[in-house]
Amino acid sequence: MSHSNDRLDWLLVGITLILLMIGLLMVHSASSVISAQRFGDAYFYAKRQLLWALLGLVAMTWTARVDYHQWRRFAPQLILLSFVFLAVVLIPGVGQNRGGSQAWLGIGSFGIQPSEFAKLALILFLAHDLEHNKHKLQSFWRGFVPPLTMALVAVGLIMLEPDLGQSVVIVGTTVILLFAAGAKLSHLGVLAGVGGLGFVGLVAMAPYRMMRIVAFLDPWKDPLGKGYQIIQSLYALGSGGLLGLGIGNSHQKYFYLPEPQTDFVFSILGEELGFLGAATVLALFASMVWRGYRTALYAPDAYGALLAAGITGMIAVQVLINVGVVTGSIPATGITLPFISFGGSSLTLMLTAMGILLNISTKSTFPVK
Amino acid sequence: MQVTSRVIRRRIMTLFLLLLAAVGGLIGRLAYIQVGQTQWLSGRAHNLWSRSIPVQGVRGTISDDHGLPLVYTATAPSVLSVPAQVTNKSSTATKLSNVLHMSAEKILQTLQQHKAMVWISPGGRRITDTQAEAVRALHLPGIYITEEGKRTYPEGSLASQVLGITGADNQGITGIEKQYNSVLSGQPGYIEFYANAKGQRMPGTGEQYIPPVNGDNIQLTINTQIQQFVEREIEQSVAEYHPNSVTAIVANPKTGAILAMANYPTFNPAHWRDYPPNTYNQNLAIWQTFEPGSTFKVVTLSAALQENKVNLADKFFDPGYYEVAGHRIRCWKAGGHGSESFLNVVENSCNPGFVALGERLGKQTLFGYIKKFGFGTKTGVDLPGEGNGILFKLSQVGPLELATTSFGQGVSVTPIQQVMAMSAIANGGLLMKPYLMDKETNPVTGQVVRQTQPTVVRRVISTQTSALVRQTLESVVANGSGRSAYVDGYRVAGKTGTAQVAENGHYTSGHYIVSFMGMAPASDPRLVAYLAIDYPRPQNGVVFGGVIVAPIVGRILGDSLQYLQVPKSTQGLSKKFRYGDIPLYTMPSFVGLTVGDAQRTAIESSAQIHTEVVGQGKYVIAQAPAPGTKVAYGQTIRLYLGGQMPQRPAVPPPVH
Repeated sequence: MSHSNDRLDWLLVGITLILLMIGLLMVHSASSVISAQRFGDAYFYAKRQLLWALLGLVAMTWTARVDYHQWRRFAPQLILLSFVFLAVVLIPGVGQNRGGSQAWLGIGSFGIQPSEFAKLALILFLAHDLEHNKHKLQSFWRGFVPPLTMALVAVGLIMLEPDLGQSVVIVGTTVILLFAAGAKLSHLGVLAGVGGLGFVGLVAMAPYRMMRIVAFLDPWKDPLGKGYQIIQSLYALGSGGLLGLGIGNSHQKYFYLPEPQTDFVFSILGEELGFLGAATVLALFASMVWRGYRTALYAPDAYGALLAAGITGMIAVQVLINVGVVTGSIPATGITLPFISFGGSSLTLMLTAMGILLNISTKSTFPVK
Repeated sequence: MQVTSRVIRRRIMTLFLLLLAAVGGLIGRLAYIQVGQTQWLSGRAHNLWSRSIPVQGVRGTISDDHGLPLVYTATAPSVLSVPAQVTNKSSTATKLSNVLHMSAEKILQTLQQHKAMVWISPGGRRITDTQAEAVRALHLPGIYITEEGKRTYPEGSLASQVLGITGADNQGITGIEKQYNSVLSGQPGYIEFYANAKGQRMPGTGEQYIPPVNGDNIQLTINTQIQQFVEREIEQSVAEYHPNSVTAIVANPKTGAILAMANYPTFNPAHWRDYPPNTYNQNLAIWQTFEPGSTFKVVTLSAALQENKVNLADKFFDPGYYEVAGHRIRCWKAGGHGSESFLNVVENSCNPGFVALGERLGKQTLFGYIKKFGFGTKTGVDLPGEGNGILFKLSQVGPLELATTSFGQGVSVTPIQQVMAMSAIANGGLLMKPYLMDKETNPVTGQVVRQTQPTVVRRVISTQTSALVRQTLESVVANGSGRSAYVDGYRVAGKTGTAQVAENGHYTSGHYIVSFMGMAPASDPRLVAYLAIDYPRPQNGVVFGGVIVAPIVGRILGDSLQYLQVPKSTQGLSKKFRYGDIPLYTMPSFVGLTVGDAQRTAIESSAQIHTEVVGQGKYVIAQAPAPGTKVAYGQTIRLYLGGQMPQRPAVPPPVH
């Protein structure tokens, strides 16, 4: 009662394109004021985002056509390459520092983030490795720790930038992959314990992270300092109400909410499109996760299943963290909203990953209703 | 065919459900923020975005009892700035300083303040139309012209201490302006617009104009005509006597309405900043407390009559002093008034006679009446800054304190307290609460929002007693110490007062507060008038007693009653003696006294003797006319001074 369709998951393509278009629209709307003020061109960010989107779509089309098994051959090389890039970006004068993070490689405003590609490289590697060594997985030291070590090397390099958001996403995605691959719950428990201690250590190392946590708990305590961004985000969402102020009508984008086109684009979205618009976007992401895990469930092999689960997991983790921060539900952690936020590396990576997911879906065998 | 293991499938299913639940949780959180908290958050966000330029309502007019404006608001342009919108602050400051009378540095400081909106103060406040045009012509971004009210006083300084003053922000600072500030100021309006975080107007958002609500008008009980009579008399007395201060009140005794209230020194409210703060901060008529002196004898008299402790026909012998607890309290008249009736005691303002009345009443009763007359507590007049006055604590009152209190020493009272006590005698025995606001009216409709109803505080004495006191006081004016207040046909009743001023616990030689408290017509008084002069310094010698103040109050009452068209009466007591008539008083002897003692004796005399000093020295060595000479009221006596105390005759020369 099943068949191999050998066809694209057009619903997933549709969801992706809708989110992409909402993203372009919102990046334009959110950035128009600061674009005009900074560059004298209201379309400055929107034009670049469109360019990256087109580039990403090309990449997606390509990866959707490449048999995902091909990636296994290059997985070790890709992860090593991304480690090299993560190291190179740390070299002063080579990597660019923006907003306190030494995270960009490139010239001028066109920069790429090695950490974005490291995320995908790590998923490709872990899916390969976990499937390859699945018989060892029940062993803590020989099965559980080696893939985890690869992830921690990436996290370690990224925390040197530092970029807490990307690190959290990598840890989250890795945990999802280990869990999906069938790692022992006791091992994951140990990881959680060690991770908790590590987190405390990181906070102790950089006190500003503690400030962020305090700000999240009570942003009104320091409304002009630590709590400023969260409060401005809540103002945007709250004044949007149920139906929103209408597209283009945000007030918070008038310099109240800093950098509204990147990590806080969802606030402006909620202000202009209201709860209905914001919830619709979240529902679209939920649908994307549904299609992603459906692909994983019916993937032709364990490697495909883990790859699909990893890519979907990465998207889900970023959505949860981004919206969690914007709604003041979790401590401030800078991460983009997939397909929506401004950012070339993030967008092209997401579309590239989506292509791989789509390719897996063409190989999946779905039950016939 | 399934390739993936069952474990992986189960784990993926679990992950999917967990992530879905997490997304569901975020949607719930979003609903809480965007639907549940939307009102609170959008309210706060609105406050964040909106900028307001205040538009003041026109402050209400304060008018006299006939509706004649005493102060109204004329609007004038003012310069305000939204600093975030000013592009070049230093050039803006320079350009503005050329138009406004203000240094560029000071304007620049103002523009550099981190505020949503600042006034260019003081140079840019209430500027002329020409200046406003010049500022507009500069077309400076972030600089606005708005209309601001300017208080205008069509009657100049008239009743300035009653009206009070307003500050730069149109707020009442003193007087009626402060007392009724909330009524007069109305509600400010706003021009409201949304601004971005840099303070510039947010494009695509309109501006909202919330119009101000103008303040209500206040009509006072002050009568401009009577106020002018009073201020005229104050000015004349100042020119003549160069006093420290003068204070005067005219009231309607039946209602407690204040018809006139004025003081010297005074000020022009349009330029109040040019005057010493005391002049606009203190209204002496309600604030100043001092020993009332003989005017207070009215209280003792009323109490004694009410308590049936005296019959005015009763005889009293005044040997020149009254012995209380081993102290001799001296009468102003050396040798005393001898045998006299209690009516004469009042007419002569004879201290021993009043001490006797005080003793008859006892401290409980006398102090009970003092308090019932309203002394020791604020009258509750609708003006800020009223004084309490000081009375002896009953537990500390011994025979000496009782004695001095009964003739007005050792108590401290305000002018308004005395006027209200006198009003109680005038109106048949009711203590009224004084008031200045007659009504509050809506400036647009003219509708009366609030009207003051006369308030009876309490009954103090009976109607019969008050009539008897009035009759006695009429006799004081017709026959006694208040003689010069006599106004033909207007039956003035009243009492003089002279109090020596204590400084640092000692009475200071030469420093007196002379006062007169009068009412007219005595049969049914329409007006009570009071005037006190603090430290009169006449140019020729020294002038004492009721001679100074009584005629002033007489003129105020006479002019006012005539203005009020009160018919003259023929039933009053006729004035016994006129100038040039047969002499009434026997000139006392001043020889051998120090100058100060001589002056004091003359002051306390009801003979109203003018003195003129000749020569230098500490002692009076001779006088003209000689002691014992019969003299007319207002007679001038020459005192010859010398350094040595002359041989004083043991017995005064025989009286002719």
